[in-house]
Amino acid sequence: MIVIRKRSWLRIAVWILIAVLGAGVAAALLIWSGVYNVAASRGHFALTAKILEVAMRQSVKTHSWHLRVPPLNDVHMIRLGASHYQGGCAPCHGAPGDPKNPIVRHMLPQPTHLPSAVYTWSAEELFWIVKNGVKYTGMPAWVASGRDDEVWAVVAFLRRLPTTDATEYRSLALGNADQDTRMAREIIDFGTDAAAISACARCHDGETASPQSRLVPKLAAQSPDYLKIALKDYAAGQRQSGIMQPVAAELDEQELEQLSSYYAGLTRRSASRRNDASPEIERGHALATAGTPKAGVPPCLACHGEKSLPSYPRLAGQYQEYLIQQLLLFKAGLRNQTAQGAIMTTIARRLTSRDIKDAAKFFEQLTPGPAEASIGREP
Amino acid sequence: MLAPQGPEAQRIFGLFWLLTMGAAAIVTLIVALLWAALSGSRLWRWLAGETFVIAGGIVLPVTVLTVLLLLGFLLTRANSIAPADAKLDVSILGEQWWWRIGYVMAEGKRLETANELYIPVGVPVALELTSADVIHSFWVPKLAGKLDMIPGRKTLLHLQASSPGVSRGQCAEYCGGPHALMSIYVVALEQPAFKAWLLSQTAPALPPSNPTERRGRELFLAAGCAGCHTIRGIGAGGTIGPDLTHVASRRSLAAATLPNDASSFARWIVDNQHIKPENRMPPFRQFAKGELTALSAYLASLK
Repeated sequence: MIVIRKRSWLRIAVWILIAVLGAGVAAALLIWSGVYNVAASRGHFALTAKILEVAMRQSVKTHSWHLRVPPLNDVHMIRLGASHYQGGCAPCHGAPGDPKNPIVRHMLPQPTHLPSAVYTWSAEELFWIVKNGVKYTGMPAWVASGRDDEVWAVVAFLRRLPTTDATEYRSLALGNADQDTRMAREIIDFGTDAAAISACARCHDGETASPQSRLVPKLAAQSPDYLKIALKDYAAGQRQSGIMQPVAAELDEQELEQLSSYYAGLTRRSASRRNDASPEIERGHALATAGTPKAGVPPCLACHGEKSLPSYPRLAGQYQEYLIQQLLLFKAGLRNQTAQGAIMTTIARRLTSRDIKDAAKFFEQLTPGPAEASIGREP
Repeated sequence: MLAPQGPEAQRIFGLFWLLTMGAAAIVTLIVALLWAALSGSRLWRWLAGETFVIAGGIVLPVTVLTVLLLLGFLLTRANSIAPADAKLDVSILGEQWWWRIGYVMAEGKRLETANELYIPVGVPVALELTSADVIHSFWVPKLAGKLDMIPGRKTLLHLQASSPGVSRGQCAEYCGGPHALMSIYVVALEQPAFKAWLLSQTAPALPPSNPTERRGRELFLAAGCAGCHTIRGIGAGGTIGPDLTHVASRRSLAAATLPNDASSFARWIVDNQHIKPENRMPPFRQFAKGELTALSAYLASLK
């Protein structure tokens, strides 16, 4: 009896093996023969589409459940997110008043039209998708994996998207870029590419206006050497930013020169907020001119003064929100790959969060010019 | 330690020989007793007796150790009491990983140098030791015993050099990664030479003597070096790192880590985190080759 039972088990095992091998061979044949149609024009079977959709939704939900959402109703985050959306997202996902391009509508899967569908995702889920991208869909991951702050700015804008109409969208996304006065000649030569990724003025200074988001640095009258170094570092991926890396990578040597000298030539506009008496500014002033020698912090103006090397940035009049964000990046070690970044990283790690806020506040209200040179000299 | 150059070291040298000779005598005695016991002579009965065990096992060690303890106390006391005629006050601040040296001058003035202690021969010197961060220990074996440098506390060490010469010292308390690279030179000079040295050190920095050095000085100021370093006379007043006013007059760079020449300056500026990992200075890699040469040439000219 025992012998017979053993034999029947063996027989079943052999048949299973044959079935598995057979299925494998059949699958290989199917692939090799090329019978399966990969055409985007054919679409998926309804069942396949459903399975893919559910798998993606569930995966995003599971992977994003642990995330903590920062406050997202900051107008400067929303503006920065919107400007990036215009260059980085709108070409595929559309924008208010701007339907998707027919080419995009022939992709498989077709990119979601976000203005009408973004509400189906939570902020955590949007963050996860923007940061990581989605396999098999053409949705890329964020270029700079360390820049969660930028991803949250995009999410801040995405949360506003469903209630943003075309007029508001243009004012948020186009910033200082004046795209209405282009002449026919320009359109003929360069196209109507309003969504070009590299339209600087969407985020940065216009001819006469400062950046509309305080998370974006003012470039007017910055030293051309510093601007060139920054763009090269972004292009080489040594300075991380999902927003600036793609822009800088598009520029050739000549454009780099032209842009750097253009911005260096703009007139520097002095601070928008002024409050000379506050104790924070007093502390910031002390830090900028004398440092905290005990903590190993040299005076900021030793390197960021009027007569410092042109490869160091000038900070007078710069937005404090931008300065704080950059100092936090230095402190976290995200800007230590470049020569200049390695210097600042060492010092930023010695700054307290109060130091960072006070110094940023001080520099924002500092008038560019001789005041920048007043560092503590020997007695 | 075996070549004492001053009265403090001489006392320690005496104690060293007393200890060594005493230890040798005791070892000889033990070996002899062991031999007596093993050889089976009749002596072993007496050795195993109560009288011998008490005398040799309790009385002798207690006496010897008490005498040594008293000697040690006396010696420490002799070395730590300020000689009434201490003529030079110097403060040494241990920092990770270098020595900040301050001379108290006439009229309450202070002269700051680094990593090299100059003293006059035959003059008792009072060293006030302390630390800016962790516990260091100041040890120049040819001149005196070790003394810890403790954050928030001042310890006093006295030393006197009996003849001119250079003694090397070392931080003798583990103080973090590059602890081994925290050395110091103590240079004893005859009194007239010492006075001349002091005078030269109090002078402001030498002006650049050629365009390269002049360019180096500009770079020193523009690149932010002055945020941490002092060079008297050019408007550089940083106090975080060593005073560089006469840096090229020293015997070494980075606390006896590198030879003192232009190429070492260049190496240090660019690559200091590999030479002395975790030291407080950031690496400055942004200089073009010519700039680095100019900056190093300027620093190497600061005799």
